Amino acid sequence: MELPQLLALVRRGDELAWEAFVRRFQSRVFGLAYHYTAQAEDARDLAQEVFIRIYQNLALVPGEDGCLPWIIRITRNACIDHLRRRKARPPLWDLPADEMFDLRSTDRNPEEAHLEAVRKTMVHRALQELTDLNREVILLKEIQGLGLEEIAAILEVPVGTVKSRSHRARLELAQKLVAAGMGA
Amino acid sequence: MHPDFKATPQEPGMSPELTRAILTRTSGDPCHRLQSLACDFVDGTLEAEQASLVRLHLGHCGACSALVGALAGLQTDLSAMAQVDPGPWFTQAVLRATRHLPIRQGADLREFWWRLMHRPRIALEAAYLGAAAGLMGIYLPMPVPDLALRIPALVQPLGDSALRVAEQMAQAERRTTTTLQRSLRPVAKPRLDSLRRGNLWPRVSSWIKARLPFFLRTPPSPPSPDAEKAPPANPG
Ligand SMILES: [Zn+2]
Repeated sequence: MELPQLLALVRRGDELAWEAFVRRFQSRVFGLAYHYTAQAEDARDLAQEVFIRIYQNLALVPGEDGCLPWIIRITRNACIDHLRRRKARPPLWDLPADEMFDLRSTDRNPEEAHLEAVRKTMVHRALQELTDLNREVILLKEIQGLGLEEIAAILEVPVGTVKSRSHRARLELAQKLVAAGMGA
Repeated sequence: MHPDFKATPQEPGMSPELTRAILTRTSGDPCHRLQSLACDFVDGTLEAEQASLVRLHLGHCGACSALVGALAGLQTDLSAMAQVDPGPWFTQAVLRATRHLPIRQGADLREFWWRLMHRPRIALEAAYLGAAAGLMGIYLPMPVPDLALRIPALVQPLGDSALRVAEQMAQAERRTTTTLQRSLRPVAKPRLDSLRRGNLWPRVSSWIKARLPFFLRTPPSPPSPDAEKAPPANPG
């Protein structure tokens, strides 16, 4: 079903349409929250909070192309708020990143899937070592696929900064992967 | 691996150490230059000439080859990381949490105000708007009768060049005034009438009182072509 029709049904209170909407975007929202927080439990709580906010503000959800960037924007805001709060209270324990990525590896050759999960885990860890701005640029541009203008608006920096940061951050990530023996 | 940067076999007799030693003592380390081009090379946005130079370097430099290989691999890895499964119970947990929540049909004013106040640059934006309004208040023409005509007389003691500048300023001022009167008259007239009818006039600030009548003065009308064509009504 097309997104505008689905949204119209959700706004009328159709529970099945709301379930379909949640299933359509939950991996995106959780994925972004997980890369921001690096904590699966925190990311799950945040993703749930984001969907509650969306449900309470259905009138504000843009249809078609604007929907995903809007959801990414509110997820990002929730994550930034959470990280600010967390600075005062560091996390105790969480599921290791490799287990997170293994959760998805079900429908392919197990060895291939495991290798991919290992790569993703390495990239996820390398991401956590970047500066905040560089990490956000990678999360929004390379991972979520937003345009330069959209990212510049979200981060409130010039478009040129997004572009130069993206290059620098990718190079930094690649250097970390090479140092960890993961060069292609 | 990306097809563009497979190492090309080295020419016989060429020693990578020798090349590196020459470059280090002349132009500097080429690997540093390559790093600045690597992302554009992988994205395919590099000009053909530079891309061929990059390819040549990659054929001889294992470190840069590995780096560019990792960059190319990252593109695939990163885009595949957009979605992470939150686990089998997540959807049900969200549905449970939203089951009894009301759906708001429109964004209310309180929420709009909250969002506005949480914009990180609201203070800057408010200051900018305030400054713009202040400047408009200062620089919009004041309703002093024939000010433009009086400027040349005021600056005459300063000499001829000052007088010429003042005359040009006066001309510009007259043009601005005429344009403003023409463009604001249709907007300001009904507003003024409604203010008078509603007995709100005494509450209008002195700033508006001073300016509105000024904008309502009839501007000098341009010569009408019809008037020229029409025969004089009262010849002689
Ligand atoms: Zn090199």
